[in-house]
Amino acid sequence: MTFRLILSTIPAAVAAAALAVMPAPASAQSSKGQQYKAPRTPDGQADLQGIWEVRNSPDKDLEKAKGLIVEPKNGKIPYLPAALARKTSNEKNSAAEDPLNKCYMPGVPRINLLSHPFQIFQTPTQISIAYEYIHNFRNVYLKRDKHLDGIDFWQGDSLGHWEGDTLVVDVANFNDQTWFDKAGAYHSDQLKVVERYTRTGPDTLQYEATITDPKVFSAPWKISITLDRDTKPNARILEYECQYLADEAAKKKGN
Amino acid sequence: MRAKFAIPAVGVTLLLAAVPVVAHHSFAAEYDSTKPITIKGSFVKMDWVNPHSWIRFNVTGDDGKVTLWSAEALPPNGLYRQGWRKDSLKEGEEITVTGFRAKDGTATMWSSSVVRADGKKMFSGRADGEEGPPR
Amino acid sequence: MRKGFLGMTAGTLAVGTILFLKPAPAAGQDTPPGPPREGGGRGGRGAGFGRGRSPLPPAGPFKRTADGKPDLSGYWNAANNGGAVFEVQKHPVARPGYPPGPGAIVDPPDGLIPYTPEYAKRAKANFDEHLADEPELHCYESGLPNQMYRQFGFQILQPAGYLVMNWEFMHAVRIIPTDNRPHGLPASTRLFEGDSVGRWEGDTLVVDTTNLNDRTWLDSAGNVHSDQMHVVERFTPVDERTINYEATMDDPKAYTRPWTVKFPLSRNMQPNYEIMEFACIEGNQDVHHYIEETGGKAKAVIP
Repeated sequence: MTFRLILSTIPAAVAAAALAVMPAPASAQSSKGQQYKAPRTPDGQADLQGIWEVRNSPDKDLEKAKGLIVEPKNGKIPYLPAALARKTSNEKNSAAEDPLNKCYMPGVPRINLLSHPFQIFQTPTQISIAYEYIHNFRNVYLKRDKHLDGIDFWQGDSLGHWEGDTLVVDVANFNDQTWFDKAGAYHSDQLKVVERYTRTGPDTLQYEATITDPKVFSAPWKISITLDRDTKPNARILEYECQYLADEAAKKKGN
Repeated sequence: MRAKFAIPAVGVTLLLAAVPVVAHHSFAAEYDSTKPITIKGSFVKMDWVNPHSWIRFNVTGDDGKVTLWSAEALPPNGLYRQGWRKDSLKEGEEITVTGFRAKDGTATMWSSSVVRADGKKMFSGRADGEEGPPR
Repeated sequence: MRKGFLGMTAGTLAVGTILFLKPAPAAGQDTPPGPPREGGGRGGRGAGFGRGRSPLPPAGPFKRTADGKPDLSGYWNAANNGGAVFEVQKHPVARPGYPPGPGAIVDPPDGLIPYTPEYAKRAKANFDEHLADEPELHCYESGLPNQMYRQFGFQILQPAGYLVMNWEFMHAVRIIPTDNRPHGLPASTRLFEGDSVGRWEGDTLVVDTTNLNDRTWLDSAGNVHSDQMHVVERFTPVDERTINYEATMDDPKAYTRPWTVKFPLSRNMQPNYEIMEFACIEGNQDVHHYIEETGGKAKAVIP
């Protein structure tokens, strides 16, 4: 009897032993995700697809979000002295002037940092990101090597390439209409953003963005934040229709 | 009435796919397609906005009075696909705008094309003012 | 012409002008649907096809994805939609700004929406008095089937397990999983574009959509549906340049029976074509400039 019990438990024991020597779940990961090897899309790209969202949105004030601004080391946005007055006045008048309060497009990287998920889709020529926030989408072109000339956009023009398993997105052609957060962090039309998307585990994505704008900042600054995947079966993004909500609220007020 | 104009190097399909026309509420009621006009003026600025961009230009009347005119044009993506760029027109440049006068008598028009100071003609809206792609 | 419509037209001038753009009726709208008439392209952005060039060579067969399904990816538009974007049902009488057209309804055979009496009244009230409430004027997405014949075309992306559609107009998005999953949202969740699930039946993608809200119109003329509407679409590729599109709407609150629209989706053949950003900003500065720089003439202001 004992012998048979032992025999019957061996497979379980072997399995348990095997699990014990497997790498730890990738969610506890180094920031560069060195140990995690993402699966591939059919054409060999690292697969970043899925529904992603920041755990805690820093949208209220990027500078107050601990650990978000990794360059400069002091965690402060390096405004040019002449630009500080405008940031201060933006912050003071945020409720009235935050473009997001007017349901305008959030810009980059703000749109990735909201409390609303987005879904990444990958094809050989293009990566398309669909946002729950006012059904925005961004197309990252993998085969175009030059930015468009002579036109600007709220979310910029995105060109992507791979550095190993990191998607690097070069965003230019911004207008000067968006803010980075509710605290009035702003930019000019000279803004350029370089984003880096690295999957660090089955359910985590590290998002970094380097922001450059010689008219507003004395140096480039960089943010880094972890995005979590929505792992519910049959997960989908919903809709956040800012203008519709504003219209409904106005109706209730009797306007 | 069909206005005579050079057919831009843009095909029917491009326009079907990409080029919008005026809101059916607004064009017929606002602009008089029986009153084509061509006005020369000095370019001030352009607002690249949806649903229609605006070309603002100063026109000096015979009496020497200067009036700021507004010419409605394609939305940004439509302009871009027609070859317009943000620096296509320079402030102060003399431009010639062809289109249709607003019915309300204000200094407003629908613009179907703009000729720059260097003579280049740029399509900015449907030439005969009707709905649909250019003929 | 009805007085109500004219009055509304004047009142909606600014609204229409400032916020909203309507598409052209497709050239050749009154001719049978088919591949767009066009010449060979020169390529490059902003370059296009000259008129009067030789027609395209006959269309070849459609491509397939690695899993053997038809590859619907690319840039498309519903060029020959019978004027559905203006009015989805048959509209034999011209209105200011839009010509008569057959609409896109193939069933019932009379081409008219089979409204219940209450919803017929609502549609008429929209047309007579509420054209300024058109959802697109408020930057709302267009819902179904309206989204499919919206202007400026759309892109289909087909990564594994999904059909994703991106429209330039309003940057509308539809995300359709194609793995025959069940609908999963509670009935109380209502979306502008609904909840769509897809499955392949041979070479036809069948898309079933529920959870639509009642905030969209079927067209610009104010035709409506209730929040009970359920839509089944069928995307059947014909060749490399054409997809036959069909949608059946059933809605026991608004219609006495289901009705079906049908029209082709035509591939945009322009090389290097891209969907560009379309910013819809309600109540934007354009209104402000327009009022000021036309001498302060009073225009209708969006509430």
